[in-house]
Amino acid sequence: MKCLLCNRPIYWQVPIAKLFLFGPLTPPRICERCRAKFQHYMGPFCPCCGRSSGNGLCAECRRWQDQYGWVLHNRCLYHYNQAMKEFMHRYKFVGDYRLRAVFHAEMQSFIDRQQYDYLVPIPVTQETMATRGFNQTAGLIDGYDGHLLLTRAVEKGVPQSAKSREQRLQTPQPFKLQPDVSLDHRRILLVDDIYTTGRTLYHAATLLKAAGAASVSSLTLSG
Amino acid sequence: MDTKLLAGRRQLVNRWGQDQAQPANVVVSPTMTVEKTQVHCLRCDQRTSRAQAMLPNDQYYCPKCLNLGRVSTLARFYHVPEPNQFYPPADVLAWQGHLSSLQTRVASEVKHSMANHEHRLLWAVTGAGKTEMIFPTVAQALQRKERVGIASPRVDVCLELYPRFTAAFRVPIALLHGRAKESYSYKQLTICTTHQLLRFYHAFDLLIVDEVDAFPYASNKALLYATKQALKPTGGLLLMTATPGKTLFEAVRRGHLQVSYLPLRYHGHLLPEIHCHLCWHWRAMLNKGRLPAHLLFWLKTRCRSQQRFLLFVPRISDLGPLKDILQRVLPHSVKFATVYSNDPDRLTKVQAMRDHQYLFLVTTTILERGVTFPGIDVGVLGADEPVFSSSALVQIAGRVGRSAKCPNGQVHFWINEYSRSIRQAQKEIRTMNIKGRRLLSEMSAL
Ligand SMILES: [Zn+2]
Ligand SMILES: [Zn+2]
Ligand SMILES: [Zn+2]
Repeated sequence: MKCLLCNRPIYWQVPIAKLFLFGPLTPPRICERCRAKFQHYMGPFCPCCGRSSGNGLCAECRRWQDQYGWVLHNRCLYHYNQAMKEFMHRYKFVGDYRLRAVFHAEMQSFIDRQQYDYLVPIPVTQETMATRGFNQTAGLIDGYDGHLLLTRAVEKGVPQSAKSREQRLQTPQPFKLQPDVSLDHRRILLVDDIYTTGRTLYHAATLLKAAGAASVSSLTLSG
Repeated sequence: MDTKLLAGRRQLVNRWGQDQAQPANVVVSPTMTVEKTQVHCLRCDQRTSRAQAMLPNDQYYCPKCLNLGRVSTLARFYHVPEPNQFYPPADVLAWQGHLSSLQTRVASEVKHSMANHEHRLLWAVTGAGKTEMIFPTVAQALQRKERVGIASPRVDVCLELYPRFTAAFRVPIALLHGRAKESYSYKQLTICTTHQLLRFYHAFDLLIVDEVDAFPYASNKALLYATKQALKPTGGLLLMTATPGKTLFEAVRRGHLQVSYLPLRYHGHLLPEIHCHLCWHWRAMLNKGRLPAHLLFWLKTRCRSQQRFLLFVPRISDLGPLKDILQRVLPHSVKFATVYSNDPDRLTKVQAMRDHQYLFLVTTTILERGVTFPGIDVGVLGADEPVFSSSALVQIAGRVGRSAKCPNGQVHFWINEYSRSIRQAQKEIRTMNIKGRRLLSEMSAL
């Protein structure tokens, strides 16, 4: 097996302890050296965006609190450092779909520990689907059941990734809820690749809450 | 869409939003074929298992040539056949240098061959001055309104060739490589990495590939595919190398390639031959703080006579122990340095060697092509290890005797055993020297 990121061979020995446990063994898809370049959020976290914060709600999230009267509960796994930037570039923009396997096991094991009724990865536009060929967020996790809940309108003008912070915050609602959907008392787990300003997730969460969702929480790979 | 940029190229265009009719001269073709268990990329010719190449919704992509922009079943190729609309000035060649009588002989052979669009190998020894020799050939093609490509597997070679061609020819030149900032432009003369050739399609009437053997195109199959794609079916192909290697030998033997030899260096001298010395377990000795007796003797004689040299070793981890020993056994007056490929002080150390501040360098890497030290000897410890390919060994040996002032010098290898690469390198050098001697006697008979 070769490392998906640097192409060096990976030497992996099944840990003895794991041999006696049931359940699938997932061999690593990247080497130790590449793995070490990614940095986990270790806490203390902001309870809302999931990024580091010394004293509770961070300044950004306090603004969301003021704007909506409620906040998301997001879990963010990794710092958006140089290694993560490069990873995202290769995965999303170069379009190397094989890289979805790199964080798959970790994302999935978090999801498996959550209580939810619908798992909803943030959708991509039809155009992205036709050019990139995949939804980068959906690729990070197993099959999901909420993919019919939301659709995303075609982006006009500058793509999200090329926007400044201010421009991002002013992005209008890009999502539409499928007609005749009732989410009464349903718990929703949203998934996205990167938490930048939170704008995208709040747009999605607003729609889902308006349709009656009991709770909306979220998971992002990085932020 | 600027169809001029598509001339002789294959551009990936997404199916999305391309429903309207194409301009009449654009040829549209598929990018991949999906086979039973694999997908086949029509740009790089490589196959990938369907599982590895899979996208959602029964689409596929090629993971093998991603750095040229992703090929996938979501896109198609747009191509415009090369129109050869060039208007070169009458005096296209600005270069006014002179070729030696030897160089002239080979240069006119090559020129004649390329006028007839043959496929030819120019096997010229290291330090033969082959770039100048192809100027007449390139000038001839430009005047005939042919599209000309000069390609090399190595970016540094392209970067070195570009200013020389810019000075030599009165036509604008496009320079293309992975690290280039400027985008592609349509020019009669293009200098690019062989990797970039995969973006062309039936573009060149004359394609010249320099340093065919060089890393990373060790596998010539990929290179030959790229050249075949980029060359017009009727085009002329000139492959240049100092170390042809097996695949090309085979092509010559079967008559697929014509061959021109330049067995003598520009100063008319033969290549230095390789002397091998067996010394078992040298690495174990090194780690115990000792050197093979012959190597020690070789080093000491050179230190005594102030003969400058380069000593190559296979691994970076060999540098440390070797340095410790050398500092112990050699007189303190002898100055030297160790260099490896990613050494942060690499450039300053090389410069210090050039400035005669060091008597010798110990190095793991073949220093850049342009780097020559006149009048040096060369030694390779562990030349039988796999990091030294036969072409690397020929290149290393070719560091010796480059200058007209000191055309002689010695090449010594210390090895555990003879490897295939060593035998191949010795054979290539011997072959060239036999031809060289014959040529020298012919010339003296004239
Ligand atoms: Zn790696
Ligand atoms: Zn926060
Ligand atoms: Zn390919």
